[in-house]
Amino acid sequence: MNPLDIYQAHTRRQMIGLGARGLGALGAASLLNPSILQAATSQSNNEFSGTLPGPHFKPTAKRVIYLFLSGGPSHIDMYDYHPKMREIHGTELPDSIRNGQRITGMTSGQKSFPCVAPMFEFSRHGQNGSWFSEIIPNIASLADDITLVKSVHTEAINHDPAITAINTGSQQPGKPSMGAWLDWGMGSPNQNLPGYVVMISKGKGNAQALYDRLWGSGFLPSKHQGVKFRSAGDPVLYLSNPNGISRDMRRNMLDGIAKINRAKKMESGDLEIDARIAQYEMAYRMQTSVPELVDLKDEPQHVLDMYGKDAMKKGTFAHNCLIARRLSERGVPFVQLFHRGWDQHGNLPKQIRGQTQDIDQPAAALVKDLKQRGLLKDTIVICGGEFGRTIYSQGKLTKDNHGRDHHGRCFSMWMAGGGFKAGFEYGKTDDYAYNILENPVHVNDLNATVLRALGIDHERFTYKYLGLDQRLTGVEHPKVIPELLA
Amino acid sequence: MAEISFNKDIRPILSNKCFFCHGPSEKSRKAKLRLDLEEEAFKEKDGFAAFVRNSLEDSEAWHRITSDDPDEVMPPPKFKKELTKAEINTIKLWIEQGATWEGHWAFMPVKETKEPKTDLSRWIRNPIDSFVMETLSKKGLHPSPETGRRTLIRRVYFDLTGLPPTPEEINDFLLDHSPNAYEKVVNRLLASDAYAERMTLVWMDASRYGDTSVFHDDGPRDMWPWRDWVLNAYKNNMPFDQFSIEQLAGDLLPNATEDQKIASGFNRNHATTDEGGVIAEEFRVEYVVDRVKTTGNVWMGLTMECAQCHDHKYDPISQEEYFQFYAFYNNNADPGMQTRRGNTAPMLEIVTPDRKKQLDDLINKQKELSSKMNARKKEANSQFAKWLKEATSNLDENKSVLEPSGLVAHLPLDDFTDNKTVDLVRETNSCQLQGKAKIVGQAKFGGGIKIEGNGFLEVKNFGNLEHNKPFSYGAWVKIPRDNFGGAIFAKMDEGNNFRGYDLWMEAGKVGLHVINKWPSNALKVVSKAKAPIKKWTHLFITYNGNGKVNGVEIYIDGKKQEKATQQDSLSQTIITDKPLRLGRRFNTAQTNGAEIDDVRFYSRALTQQEVQVLSESDPISPILAIEENNRTKAQKEVLVTHYFESKDQPYQQIFKQKKSTDKSLADLRSKKLTSMIMGDNPPNKMRKTYLLMRGQYASPDKSKEILPDTPAFLPTMKKDLPKNRLGLAKWLLDKEHPLTARVTVNRYWQTIFGRPLVATPGDFGSQGSWPTHPDLLSWLAKDFVDHGWNVKRTIKQMVMSSTYRQESTTRSEHLQKDPTNLYHARAPRFRLMGEFVRDNALAVSGLLNREFGGAGVKPYQPAGLWVEVSLSGNRRFARDKGEKLYRRSLYTYWKRSAPHPGLMAFDTPTRETCTLQRQRTNTPMQALVTLNDEQFVEASRAFAQRILKSSAKTFHDRMNWAFELATGHPADNLRKEVLEDAYKYQKEKFAAEPNRAEELLKIGEAPIDASIDANEHASWTVLASMILNLDETLNRE
Repeated sequence: MNPLDIYQAHTRRQMIGLGARGLGALGAASLLNPSILQAATSQSNNEFSGTLPGPHFKPTAKRVIYLFLSGGPSHIDMYDYHPKMREIHGTELPDSIRNGQRITGMTSGQKSFPCVAPMFEFSRHGQNGSWFSEIIPNIASLADDITLVKSVHTEAINHDPAITAINTGSQQPGKPSMGAWLDWGMGSPNQNLPGYVVMISKGKGNAQALYDRLWGSGFLPSKHQGVKFRSAGDPVLYLSNPNGISRDMRRNMLDGIAKINRAKKMESGDLEIDARIAQYEMAYRMQTSVPELVDLKDEPQHVLDMYGKDAMKKGTFAHNCLIARRLSERGVPFVQLFHRGWDQHGNLPKQIRGQTQDIDQPAAALVKDLKQRGLLKDTIVICGGEFGRTIYSQGKLTKDNHGRDHHGRCFSMWMAGGGFKAGFEYGKTDDYAYNILENPVHVNDLNATVLRALGIDHERFTYKYLGLDQRLTGVEHPKVIPELLA
Repeated sequence: MAEISFNKDIRPILSNKCFFCHGPSEKSRKAKLRLDLEEEAFKEKDGFAAFVRNSLEDSEAWHRITSDDPDEVMPPPKFKKELTKAEINTIKLWIEQGATWEGHWAFMPVKETKEPKTDLSRWIRNPIDSFVMETLSKKGLHPSPETGRRTLIRRVYFDLTGLPPTPEEINDFLLDHSPNAYEKVVNRLLASDAYAERMTLVWMDASRYGDTSVFHDDGPRDMWPWRDWVLNAYKNNMPFDQFSIEQLAGDLLPNATEDQKIASGFNRNHATTDEGGVIAEEFRVEYVVDRVKTTGNVWMGLTMECAQCHDHKYDPISQEEYFQFYAFYNNNADPGMQTRRGNTAPMLEIVTPDRKKQLDDLINKQKELSSKMNARKKEANSQFAKWLKEATSNLDENKSVLEPSGLVAHLPLDDFTDNKTVDLVRETNSCQLQGKAKIVGQAKFGGGIKIEGNGFLEVKNFGNLEHNKPFSYGAWVKIPRDNFGGAIFAKMDEGNNFRGYDLWMEAGKVGLHVINKWPSNALKVVSKAKAPIKKWTHLFITYNGNGKVNGVEIYIDGKKQEKATQQDSLSQTIITDKPLRLGRRFNTAQTNGAEIDDVRFYSRALTQQEVQVLSESDPISPILAIEENNRTKAQKEVLVTHYFESKDQPYQQIFKQKKSTDKSLADLRSKKLTSMIMGDNPPNKMRKTYLLMRGQYASPDKSKEILPDTPAFLPTMKKDLPKNRLGLAKWLLDKEHPLTARVTVNRYWQTIFGRPLVATPGDFGSQGSWPTHPDLLSWLAKDFVDHGWNVKRTIKQMVMSSTYRQESTTRSEHLQKDPTNLYHARAPRFRLMGEFVRDNALAVSGLLNREFGGAGVKPYQPAGLWVEVSLSGNRRFARDKGEKLYRRSLYTYWKRSAPHPGLMAFDTPTRETCTLQRQRTNTPMQALVTLNDEQFVEASRAFAQRILKSSAKTFHDRMNWAFELATGHPADNLRKEVLEDAYKYQKEKFAAEPNRAEELLKIGEAPIDASIDANEHASWTVLASMILNLDETLNRE
């Protein structure tokens, strides 16, 4: 931020903040993010509480739940089915299909690239007749609610660069994550919870690493980094009082601290002290709002049943889905679940069955639950990973076993709600689910489209850093895909 | 009407809104119009000129920017870069005022700047004040009075050392009435270790320092010797030019010292990968790109990286010039594929003088014992001859089948000199024990080795087996546990699709890989049965060269095994440059815990009978069975060794000492420390540089080789400079370089005043910010260079100024005219860096461990943070204990994919990339850290103990002392009252529920003084925590 911006921000805060109820009474505020105050003083739907004063377009969504399947879930075994695959099973991948595609160091030396049809049954679902695999029956039942994109693509062919690219718009570290961008730009209507929450679960499959940068704030102020809700220990790091300190004792401490801080403000004239007092208060509120949020005891049994047997089991994808819904209900704009274990280089048929068992019922329940609560209309649910997998087998293809390598040239993701079309399929791949034939959607196009649904023009959503107007969607020429939006 | 300055007012508009299409980039240039060059901007073309001085009417640009026609208006609406009304008005004024043009200020030579004359000469302590005063006058502002001594000393302590003054130090200063009392404090601080630590912390951000490798597995590495080099450089006030040259090219300096080589590790701090599927060249290119970016940002404030894929849109750097700069870095010898286990070459072993002496002593002792052993052999030669005769005649003919033919290598692993041992066949001493692997005195036959701590034994110049030729190999092995796995030995290159072979174990079973490319062109087969554990077992493989698993046999203790085939197709070479290693593959699959003895390689497939003989034989009989004259020298040596080691008592005594010396030496060597350094490829392997089209590693434009050079808009490299990194470094640090000094003093200003003079410390190009004090910046830069790049001198000048010593109180004049304090009419007041927030708590509580330098430490952090994100859950955080919990925060082990959350909450960057300016945020997470983190709770407990054990006995005295420790000031009445109320309240709570005090006091490892009443201690712990959480404690005022 250049000095002039800081100046403007500051004066704006003085005008709005001090003019309203006095700063101390308000929620979070800091020199670098003054506009939170703006939100607190205006409840209009057409305004953000972040750095952007308001949306560039009329938004169709206010929040996002991103179900990120880490490791490269196989689009072939879940969504992108072509009956012809049964015929090509066991045959060599033709050069005309591979078309000089670079492949990873793990299979680049393979002499033979035998194609493998999914070892699962597929059937058509919904008005649209989209194919779904038997291993995701519940997601299949969402056919009429979702936009299924079969033509997502990325340049990256390995996990670290690919997962960094889809989450931050760049394969190299240092850029803010999508959630951090949105927290910075949109802010959050909920002053008692973080605006960007991350939850991690792990399946039994091969687990690739995750990195703080995937939910990091990059060059944006660090307050916008995703806050992890954790299954063990404190739900939010450092949330609990130390042993021996009760809530009323803490209250007494904070009151004392605030009294001295207020005196300090009078002595020093430093307005930032008001923000510090407010942050201590928000921390105090989080100590109740977070435990209340993650406590599922008020969820009725039939809701728990929807999410499946793991719903009450901390650290599972199902449990995290339910918490995601509760966060969205409370207005939290960006919730991201990372489910690990989708890297099936070998033993794919068995592993992917396990992985889909983890997510199928809860992901579908989440969409249905949001829908029945009227939240789906302005909440986007996104589901997918950093890339797909190859049609050809990695390692030996046997009667009932094989692996698949990474594949970034095309893969499938789905979106539900928040202005995305319902019962819609977009993008077409060849019979090998290897190349896109129609309507490619680059990962940055997808991000641009999600921003568009949130009312944000990705080209105007910039932060000046190292000489460039940096943006989530990178420097190439990403485009919104209007066809995906209703 | 305001006077418009081109550089301050106009260039930023043109750059941000126009240069994209009308700037330096030729490819994206529209209408052949350039607005970054004066000549072009005013040139008449087809009757039009973009700008005509003093004439709006004739300035085509004016018509375009004010046009209503969407096809005419500039910038075009689709660019979403509309000019604001204010910007349009500024351009109008500029044209009307004569459209004066200036070159970009930061690219112009630093000129002599005269110290301005000002009215308030009493206030001026040094030229900094004159420049600040001049600006204040222009803005209608007035400097603030000098701040009180208590505030001043605390301020300068934090700014120069990141630590608070003690009450004694404050008191000394208050009582020192000499005119240079303050200067004495400053001098003392500048000479302290803590100053070096404070400065190093800033440099760690810039140099993307970390203790892990970032990408994929984010495994450990050792770069702290480099970090310690930086500490010492700051401590000794190394001039900035030397500091820079050694870090950029220390390895290339003539007769480079060890320290200079370590310094060059600056450019090995970047992220590296170990991900199995990567294309190595892609990442090697990334590393070079990172070095270019970091060098550009840090030394020149240039965003060179913007010209990787196309010409720079804003600054005059073409893509070709980018690759000329890139060429300086394109010959470092480190590979694209690096490791998840420690350092990757080029690296340097660090040998401290102490270590060197220990090593020398042991080596000398080893030599001495060896010669004693030889002497004994000579002395007792007749006894040996007698034994030999008897043994030969007693040889059991049935058991002594001849040594199978075709033996090509035989490592008895019995005798080590200087950690080297012999291959009896080739009779070379080329087998070297490495790392923590150790010699064991008693193995299957005589000595052997044990693999520990990822150590290994490397066999040089041997082992090129081929896929289409028969071979056999094996060894005696003792495995430590059930389901054991890894490579007993291997000659294999994991980085090249695992090419090579191994003697392999998995889940306790025995087998091998023979690989051209894994898994497509490879054999892999293992036994169905497991090998026995904890006993010496003979493991052996034979292969007939047919490229099939059916040509392989696996033997355990001479018994042929049933096999389970996993890969069965091999048709191409398995030869690799990587050496044969015992105890691992080249870098992976370590068999820690395994003991190995008597390794043999044959150039044919042995028969079952032959393998059985090997599995039953002792090492002596086959040799005895050979006619004496036909025995090789090495075989004779085995007999001698066998006799003396097993039969000759005087020899055995010396031998025992020798073994123990060997072990000590091996142990010492296994604690080897390295640091990664820069090192260019050898002259005959220099890589050529090409422009990478669209910046893509796989698209070099081979039509033209690119040679190293610097961008044309900057001064050319002097003729006598070599066109390599050393030449580049010297060019950067040339006195005439317009950027280096400006960029550097700007960062020092930021370090001391909390904000730089140029708000974009990493971008001094046309998109960068205009300095708040342009003349001051020039003066500081010139002064810095003219005084030999003396860092302490420049820093001292800043803290000695009146500008620095002002009060930080914000007054209404400030709020009206300069609310964010750009112009220094008051001292800044800001929150301490995260590291200093923690260091302050540790210092105040008396827990701080002031040890200087050394490896990163792992203080308290919540459990599970590494494992929940690490690859297959394999990286786990293991907290340190004792004194390591209380080191200064810059020593906190920096795992870059999951850094310490307490510091991250306070804006410490991840350091995955170069960071020149930290954010300074204020969040609820920070409150949770300082209130609830075990580290801070423990510090509060220790602080409370310190207060209660101090000489202060009344509540009021205690409060004064505690506040003085934490804030530099005694507590006033209001503060005392607030805390006394809290004290009463908390004490009552603790009294009502005694468990509470006990639970609170249990937090943290630091010992507790049991003589203090628990409720009293707990209540004071709460008060201490409150004090540590006060705004005035967390801020530098």
